[in-house]
Amino acid sequence: MNFAPDTSLDIASAVNRATVPAGATKLKVEKLNFYYGENHALKNINFDIPEKRVTAMIGPSGCGKSTLLRVFNRMFQLYPGQRAEGKILFDGTDLLGKELDSTVVRSRIGMVFQKPTPFPMSIYDNIAFGVKLHESLSKAQMDERVEWCLRKAAIWEETKDRLHTSALGMSGGQQQRLCIARTIAVRPEVILLDEPTSALDPISTSKIEDLIDELKQEFTIVIVTHNMQQAARCADITAFFYLGELIEVGVSADIFTNPREPRTRDYITGRFG
Amino acid sequence: MDATLSGTPAGQVLAQKPTGRISDPIFVGLLWASGIFVLILLGLIIAMLFEGGLPALREFGIQFLWSTSWNPVTERFGAGVMVFGTLFSAVIAVIVALPLSFGIAFFLTEIAPGPLRRPIGVAVQLLAAIPSIIYGMWGFFVVVPLIAAYVQPPLIEWLGPLPVIGALFQGPPLGAGMLTAGLILALMIVPFITAMFVEVLESVPPMLKESAYGVGATTYEVYRNVSVPYGRTAMVGAVMLGLGRALGETMAVTFVIGNATRMSASLFAPGATIASTIANEFPEASMGSLKLQSLLQLGFILFVISFIVLALSRVLVRSKLKS
Repeated sequence: MNFAPDTSLDIASAVNRATVPAGATKLKVEKLNFYYGENHALKNINFDIPEKRVTAMIGPSGCGKSTLLRVFNRMFQLYPGQRAEGKILFDGTDLLGKELDSTVVRSRIGMVFQKPTPFPMSIYDNIAFGVKLHESLSKAQMDERVEWCLRKAAIWEETKDRLHTSALGMSGGQQQRLCIARTIAVRPEVILLDEPTSALDPISTSKIEDLIDELKQEFTIVIVTHNMQQAARCADITAFFYLGELIEVGVSADIFTNPREPRTRDYITGRFG
Repeated sequence: MDATLSGTPAGQVLAQKPTGRISDPIFVGLLWASGIFVLILLGLIIAMLFEGGLPALREFGIQFLWSTSWNPVTERFGAGVMVFGTLFSAVIAVIVALPLSFGIAFFLTEIAPGPLRRPIGVAVQLLAAIPSIIYGMWGFFVVVPLIAAYVQPPLIEWLGPLPVIGALFQGPPLGAGMLTAGLILALMIVPFITAMFVEVLESVPPMLKESAYGVGATTYEVYRNVSVPYGRTAMVGAVMLGLGRALGETMAVTFVIGNATRMSASLFAPGATIASTIANEFPEASMGSLKLQSLLQLGFILFVISFIVLALSRVLVRSKLKS
């Protein structure tokens, strides 16, 4: 029996963006194939991610959307046996080529994970850690940077009196916003969000979604989510993946109200996945 | 239900005699006995050591703990030299073993390609399986001459004249001595410390490491700022466990430490540890002699030192595993 509610109506009402995204292409994926050893996980992916917009990647578990996210910041290179073929142009430079060092790539394309991952140190140091890797700032400059990114992540008011206490003592939602602040602190151009709210309660989730809306003024955002409403609410562009293939990509409003592909329609209405 | 089901007819199980009425209390009793046995054994050993050594403590007073004389002819005994030697050699061992263990553990968990991981891991384990007497013989016939010929002369020449640290590099290049004992001990505790480090490093959540890589950290920066702080307490515990082993190690040390009951700050001076002294002199100590009593008292002191170190390591390791 299928207990999934027919969500197409909710989603349609959640879509509040008639705006068609404009702007330059920030990441251009060209003929990308990805392998976990013998397993062909991404099959000939081609698509563009526009600058200063939110792009959502949706699809059932195992469809390759998180894999693609991990290709964008070369995280896959930490693990032997994983390899990518093809090109991802980042402002015209191939991310997968030899020109860019992976630490440089990761400082310009930041990532926030499914679960909050604060480092075992103080709130202040959690943020300073990444900054110190790339810049040498004075104490005053660092203070300023910490406040800036905590404000951006909408968590300054809650943390300003306890900056030097352990980050492990914060709530899950606060920790996740700290992780977003930590990612912003390095001043990346792209922020990758890998199901950032899957471990959070509804209130924390809505704070993060508001935050995503704010952040796209300055950053290009790519979000992987299992929550269709979230994609509809937050994303300008939505891409639907299935079994390692990119099935359909387009303006969120179109994808959720009027998908071209039957598989997309089946997925967003909860018939499978 | 299925009519062909074999066994006791349904509804009659409760009417049968319970099977565990006699055997279970016996089993529980045996478990109790095993548990209590350990406590009794430990208590008896402590009592025997303390009781046996008590006359020496009465004879020499509490100064026995730090007195540096050990003279079987005049029957003046003190534990000072051996306590010093035990701690000195164990500390050298830990100082040498620590970076080595860090290196091996991190290599195994982060850097080593898959096919190399197993052989190196097994080799480290095998080091732990070598009996200590083998280390002793190898140390005596191979390491001692090598150190005497190639390590000590240049060190004495270069570092000996320096102020303060020069004191560590004095004396003739005998080969056997504190440094050699510490090096052999280091090799012996590396497998233990490494094994525990590997366990700790493997328990660092991959996502936590990835988030450090994610802000652009290099392998070393992730190790230094995330993995090690994450497992710091457990790692200190691992080092304490290694220290505990080094404190009590007997045969290998007896072969290479030189067995001189003199105290010297030099790394090259021959010395003695509590364990090596007991191993050397026990056969010559006659029943009821003051010497035997002093050796038993030495044993008691070693027991107390090891107990403190072990207890400390337990507390530290556990505090990490809980959180």
